[in-house]
Amino acid sequence: MPQQLAIILLVDVANALEMKTLEGNAYLFDNMKLHGSEGQGTGELVTAIHGSYWRDGSQATEQVLNWLPYSLGSIPPTVPRGYEAERARQTDREALSELEAMVHKPANQGGDAAAQLSHLQQTLGTRVRSTRRTRGPATQKILDVTGNVISYDGAAAHTYPPPVITDIYGEAVDKKIMYPAEYGSPDMVTDGWYWSATVDSTRPGTYAYTMAVQLHRLLLQGGDWTWEPVDLTCESKLRIVSEPKRNAFTKSGLGLLPIPPA
Amino acid sequence: MAVKPQVSIIALVDVIGALSDRSLLNGNLVLIDDGSFASRAQGTPELCTIVQPGQVVQWTALAVDLQTPVEIRNIEFLRLQPPGQPAYPAPQAGWAAPVAGAHPGMPAPSPAQPAYAAATGHGPGAFPPGPAAVTGAPTVESEKLDLEIWAGMVPYYMVPGVAYRYRLEFQMYEGPYSVLHVETPSLMRI
Repeated sequence: MPQQLAIILLVDVANALEMKTLEGNAYLFDNMKLHGSEGQGTGELVTAIHGSYWRDGSQATEQVLNWLPYSLGSIPPTVPRGYEAERARQTDREALSELEAMVHKPANQGGDAAAQLSHLQQTLGTRVRSTRRTRGPATQKILDVTGNVISYDGAAAHTYPPPVITDIYGEAVDKKIMYPAEYGSPDMVTDGWYWSATVDSTRPGTYAYTMAVQLHRLLLQGGDWTWEPVDLTCESKLRIVSEPKRNAFTKSGLGLLPIPPA
Repeated sequence: MAVKPQVSIIALVDVIGALSDRSLLNGNLVLIDDGSFASRAQGTPELCTIVQPGQVVQWTALAVDLQTPVEIRNIEFLRLQPPGQPAYPAPQAGWAAPVAGAHPGMPAPSPAQPAYAAATGHGPGAFPPGPAAVTGAPTVESEKLDLEIWAGMVPYYMVPGVAYRYRLEFQMYEGPYSVLHVETPSLMRI
């Protein structure tokens, strides 16, 4: 059917970074189970694409594929896009008012200044430095998966930026079975950029393709935490079938409508 | 204006709305045609398309949300009733069986079919009987629906001014509640 089809790439980011591979750490889904896609929810997805042709052999339906990368162990992609920046600003404001309270306390009620400073540090969290090379993720401070800033010590659990597909290539592209490209739109999940492809369904067969996926690892560089890009790849397949269009009433050519006589 | 050789009827379906409501009403189905004559009730499930013998009528289903699959599963013209009886009785068992030879390979709808679940007393949440209905496995028919072209020529024996109603059945993905229909649209010969 001439509809847009979705392929979801769900990545266990922490494990993939640790194992330095997407094998066993990527889970693929699509909405083509109805058409016979196989391996849904595994790394071995084969996406079924139903093509059809007219009697003269020309292509009758067009298929559009969209790839959406998601992350396991991250803040859900459904929160507003400015969420992380907003969290960073809010914690700055909280820390400022804490500091104000500290400063305005009478000297004899100072209490334990060290404990207060430690609390202030918790409130402020840890800022991630953005460099030219690592400016990909827009994260301003290190957050946990519930969206709270954390004071990062190199070991705490933290949320990862979602995976980014940076290229789609391989057999299916080389053989001109599909024409992928990255598009921009105000899409909420993928930060405005997504990969999409049109498919030539006139050449049935199974064709492999590779996704280049960029993950990000927290790295201490010159005393600052930065997001270090880590490039990995993930393979998947398209299985294309093509069948002739036919008249639904007659199962062959055009005929009279099956209207019972009055 | 010359009479068009073809009339297109577009069925615009809000699949998520229809599946949530388990109904094609409530604005979940809109029928529109581009006929040469003054068709009635455009934009509603009661569309009456005015046609002329020899014209080709083609039905196409479109989903409002592009990523939701919807196909026309069947179009069945209802029988007109003899004078003195209501124009259209309530659907009865076996009534929708296709005209012999008209749909070879098309199984007759069984009472267990999901579309009739409400009418036969299955409450919400109750699965209709029959293994095929509950497994959700792709059926041959639903897999091949995307190949079907729903088009046919208007026959000459239609009586002018009489609304020939038809049952328009949609398949929305698969599973026990994936089939819904309306019996309100019609064709009328000018």
